[in-house]
Amino acid sequence: MPRQTTFAKTGELDKTWHHLDARGKVLGRIATEVATILMGKHRPEYTPHVDTGDCVIITNAEQVVLTGRKAQQKTMQRFSGYPGGQKVESYESLMERHPERVVEKAITRMLPKGRLGRQMAKKLHVYVGDQHPHQAQQPVALEIN
Amino acid sequence: MPRVRKGAARNKARRRILRNARGYFGTKSRHKQQAKVAILRAGNFAFRDRRNRKRDFRRLWITRITAACRMRGTRYSVFMHGLQQAGILLNRKMLSQMAIEDPASFDELVQVASEHASKAAA
Repeated sequence: MPRQTTFAKTGELDKTWHHLDARGKVLGRIATEVATILMGKHRPEYTPHVDTGDCVIITNAEQVVLTGRKAQQKTMQRFSGYPGGQKVESYESLMERHPERVVEKAITRMLPKGRLGRQMAKKLHVYVGDQHPHQAQQPVALEIN
Repeated sequence: MPRVRKGAARNKARRRILRNARGYFGTKSRHKQQAKVAILRAGNFAFRDRRNRKRDFRRLWITRITAACRMRGTRYSVFMHGLQQAGILLNRKMLSQMAIEDPASFDELVQVASEHASKAAA
């Protein structure tokens, strides 16, 4: 066995694709699991400065569950950059307009902030409904209980 | 005493500083004063981080062992406790390397560890 710790190199590891059906799943519970996979912390070759994570497809984003009164109380803030340009929107209305954005934001905000984190976020694909255009990547079903 | 002129010595000092600052960003590799500060800081960080490196690597090994354990349905803390109970003294560096290069042996380690961990609990 080598004396030095192994470091993964970019493009050296094969990326598998995971497919997760978000129907009836709690938002934060799936977000932590998916973020772990995107970061690559689920495999023993994990290397902090290299993206060792896999790709994740999430379908049925509109059927994700927010527990308690979070749909009414929790808000999403954006800022346009202009004075008075702060937009505040409840999760209830955001779920109606862009359900995939709710899931995407929950997950990407758990990723590292920086160039590598943004790169990791690109491997996440969220869709409304149970169809996705990644059949060719032969995604493996991901079970989260 | 003869009067000493600084010119040659000053140039020599400047050249030495800039040589050590080669490859630094922007003025840090071109201007004497900026380069001087940058070298001092670089030295301090290098000294500190040679010590921090030991912790950084230990953290990385633990993260990797955690991943390997979770793949096999156990937890890091339970695994390490089980190994200790079983009298297996492999360090974290070796365990993380085994998880990458020799998954079959790691499977056995998990097996042994979980047996001993459950025995201690009962």
